Amino acid sequence: MAEMWINMGPQHPMTHGLWNLRVKVDGETITDAEPVIGYLHRGWEKMVENRKYPQIIPMADRLCYGSSFTWSHVYCMAVENLMGLEVPERAKWIRAMSDELQRIGNHLMWLAAIGPDLGNLTIFLYAIREREMFLDLFQSLCGARMTYNYCRIGGVRNAAPPNWERDVLRTLDYFEKRIDEYEDLVDRNKVFRMRMEGLAPMSGKDAINLGITGPVLRASGVKYDVRHNDPYEIYDEVDWHMCTADEGDTYARYRVRMDEMRMSVQIVRDILKKMPKDGPIRVKPPRNAPVGTGFARMEDPRGESLIYVVGKGDDEPYRLKVRSPLYVILSATPLLLRGHKVADVPSILGMIDVCMGETDR
Amino acid sequence: MISMYLDIWQLLGGLIHWLLVDIIGAFVGWLGFHGLEAWLGSPGVLNFVTILIVALIVFVVGMLVSITLIWQERKTLGRLMDRRGTQVGPIGLFQNFADALKVLVKEHIVPEAADSLVYNLAPVVIIGTSLMMFVTLPYSPGFYVSNPQLGLLLTLALFGIVPFAVLLGGWASNNKYTLIGGMRAAAQIIAYEVPLLLSVVGVVILTGSLNFFEIVQWQQDNVWLIAPMIIGAFTFVISMVAELERVPFDLPEAEAELVEGWGTEYGGMRFGLIMMSEYARGFVGSSIITLVFLGGWDMPDFLNVIPVGLWFLLKVFMVFGIIIWVRGALPRVRTDQILNLGWKRLLPLAAINIAIAIVFKTAGVF
Amino acid sequence: MARKEKSRREKEFGLTAYILKPMLVTAKQTLKSTINRPNTVQYPWEKLVLPDVFRGRPGLIFEKCIGCGICMRICPNRCIELVEVDDLKHEEGKPPKKVKRPRVNVGRCMMCGFCAEYCPTDAMIVTPEYELAAYTREEMIYDPYKLQFPGVPGNEVHIEEILPSELNKGVAPRRHVEHVDLPVVDDKKCISCSRCAKDCPVGAVKMVEVGVNEKGRPIKRPVFDKEKCVSCETCVEVCPKDALTMQEVQ
Repeated sequence: MAEMWINMGPQHPMTHGLWNLRVKVDGETITDAEPVIGYLHRGWEKMVENRKYPQIIPMADRLCYGSSFTWSHVYCMAVENLMGLEVPERAKWIRAMSDELQRIGNHLMWLAAIGPDLGNLTIFLYAIREREMFLDLFQSLCGARMTYNYCRIGGVRNAAPPNWERDVLRTLDYFEKRIDEYEDLVDRNKVFRMRMEGLAPMSGKDAINLGITGPVLRASGVKYDVRHNDPYEIYDEVDWHMCTADEGDTYARYRVRMDEMRMSVQIVRDILKKMPKDGPIRVKPPRNAPVGTGFARMEDPRGESLIYVVGKGDDEPYRLKVRSPLYVILSATPLLLRGHKVADVPSILGMIDVCMGETDR
Repeated sequence: MISMYLDIWQLLGGLIHWLLVDIIGAFVGWLGFHGLEAWLGSPGVLNFVTILIVALIVFVVGMLVSITLIWQERKTLGRLMDRRGTQVGPIGLFQNFADALKVLVKEHIVPEAADSLVYNLAPVVIIGTSLMMFVTLPYSPGFYVSNPQLGLLLTLALFGIVPFAVLLGGWASNNKYTLIGGMRAAAQIIAYEVPLLLSVVGVVILTGSLNFFEIVQWQQDNVWLIAPMIIGAFTFVISMVAELERVPFDLPEAEAELVEGWGTEYGGMRFGLIMMSEYARGFVGSSIITLVFLGGWDMPDFLNVIPVGLWFLLKVFMVFGIIIWVRGALPRVRTDQILNLGWKRLLPLAAINIAIAIVFKTAGVF
Repeated sequence: MARKEKSRREKEFGLTAYILKPMLVTAKQTLKSTINRPNTVQYPWEKLVLPDVFRGRPGLIFEKCIGCGICMRICPNRCIELVEVDDLKHEEGKPPKKVKRPRVNVGRCMMCGFCAEYCPTDAMIVTPEYELAAYTREEMIYDPYKLQFPGVPGNEVHIEEILPSELNKGVAPRRHVEHVDLPVVDDKKCISCSRCAKDCPVGAVKMVEVGVNEKGRPIKRPVFDKEKCVSCETCVEVCPKDALTMQEVQ
């Protein structure tokens, strides 16, 4: 059979999000791949040039619903960098804690998405059920389940409700037992291991050359985490360590994210112990930003996200540039898919955790 | 041992005789057609009508049990995933009728460039052979349609016609994805026919016959065959799951993959028939496992009050429950890994099973 | 605790791990779901209980609203407009007065809660209503009467912040800090039209005579009352000569 190009997408139940993956297939083996994106382009970066600075915060939430708090957090950090504003201590601790809870929520969504790709619907329902608990926590904190609108330029919106610490600790205790159950269901499952081990290995050097960050990079053995190498907020005062793996195949990427979930639980527990109990949580930001530039970067659950703001002295930004981690990782698709079978595509792409909202903006 | 069962041949034979000879025959004779009356009372006509009605009843019971298997799967899978299953009707029992109604009112489309004769013929062959297997399976000593001397072989042979029809159906749809799906399905099913049949050879060696009644009788006299033939049972169950194209072996009809499966172009009632045949074959497969390995309708003496046929059906549901359980826990296996498993792992196990059976037989244990 | 210590490939892949461990996990879950109830909430017959802070559609408490328009200016989707409607309470025998109240296009609303947060009198609140389906788009535009909602004090959203100059000095956060910004008038541009005084919703602007011009007409300049001003910027928008700007207090 001659080599033919096959379109997987844009309407496909397996590619999470709206994009087109063209693969060149020779029988069952893939010889080349080409991702085609842009179906979800909403003109975000142009839209925010007509909004005031506080109005952009709920729009930054909607860049990607899976990691919504981290996007508004990095936006607020960028604007604070531009305005030269300092944030109260207690707000930094609350922001870090919400970051880590968001990270757990995102990794649970990823876990729920790989189940049906590989044919198992059970893990989908289990992971969504756990994610509901974390969404309920956020709902009692700020009133919404997915797009929180909780971070503000100068702090956070409101203090935690009463009984917050008790609720979070209860949820985390229950959740740790469930992580053990997921590992029983996936790690100790011969069929899952058969489909994940040895697939799509990527060396550390290739990953660094392509500009990949996040769990995909750490699974190839490179020890790079923005929380560690360039600490923001209070990550240098919290007791934690980086999660890496050596082999660089699909199973290693899976393993890194599961370890990160446990690490997030440990971080939240530490934050609750060390957080200052009272103090201001919010500072009044100026209405007009000075002329200049500001940027901030942080560790999104999927990689390193960065926002660059150019102010023009007015209350609206002149330009806002978003660096999305998945936009870069998708460029590595040809490297990952070459030489594998068509049936491996869901397994490999699932471990990258694709989300088109932030890729296309 | 004393066990209750409904002997359908005696019941229906008597009923038909009474109906044809005493009522209709008398009426026709009163009208004056004595030749017709004699013809109606002849053994040939009586036999024919009895066989027809018995086959109809057994067929309907088989279909109802297959539909109940669908209900069982949906509810069990639901509770396994911490949700309720289907809730249409009292405890979800009406879902199948709702599905059947929906499938009946859909439009029947034949693709323009498809080979319409083969395209229409493929589901007929699949559902025909699947339902034909209801004929050879006995539910209890009195509830069966025919008792061929080679019952086990005939049933497994009918099982094996289906991959041929699957390949034809996928090819005739004129769609390169269904062609690939059909070829994959055919490759998988044919690859698993061999361990399926080999693991039953051990049973045949021990019991000495291929007739279902004699196999069950042997198990009633001695031990259930799952005990000496544990490896054979294990291999048979795995091969049966692969034959039924269920998860973890359902790559031919996987939705999340590139190819949608061989049955993509079939819509409306044809799709309904293909779904039906899946569960009918599931029922037949579970029945074979029960009859051959789990003793059929054998039960301890103190449970005499349950009719034997119901006990058999309970065992069938249990076996299907295990198959559903496996579906809930495992993901899909890749095609080359499936074929790997079939040829390299299951075949030696089946051969070992035959060796064990020979050892048992020559040692005179059974 | 992260399991970095054990080597991952040999993670207890013993005999039970082949497919037995996942099957045991699922069997345990089946038993738990059958004996107790499963985790399903059968919507719409059963609904979840929502906390007071839940951000459903915006709601209005008619009596507290002063018609300042801050909600209109802060809405990111521009769903809110101020319209003139009849006041709810009016004296006997006289026609009701016309007041400005917000009209919200709930179809476009993204339930961000900004209107409730920035409202100076807590007239806009968040409500727990989220079932807002309608048959036409016109039904989704809620006029001020339909927007009303009987709210509890938990539905209000309060801003409690401090000024940047008070950081690290142990000043407690308090409400209405954002109202310290006052407008300042540019003397050269002001033409004494008094529109800012007429349109101010709280009456914080008084026109004061500061002199007489060539033609003998009095020159009036606005003076802003610090206690009453809510920093709504209505005067800034209304001034025909753009003579007013907000002065920030840090």
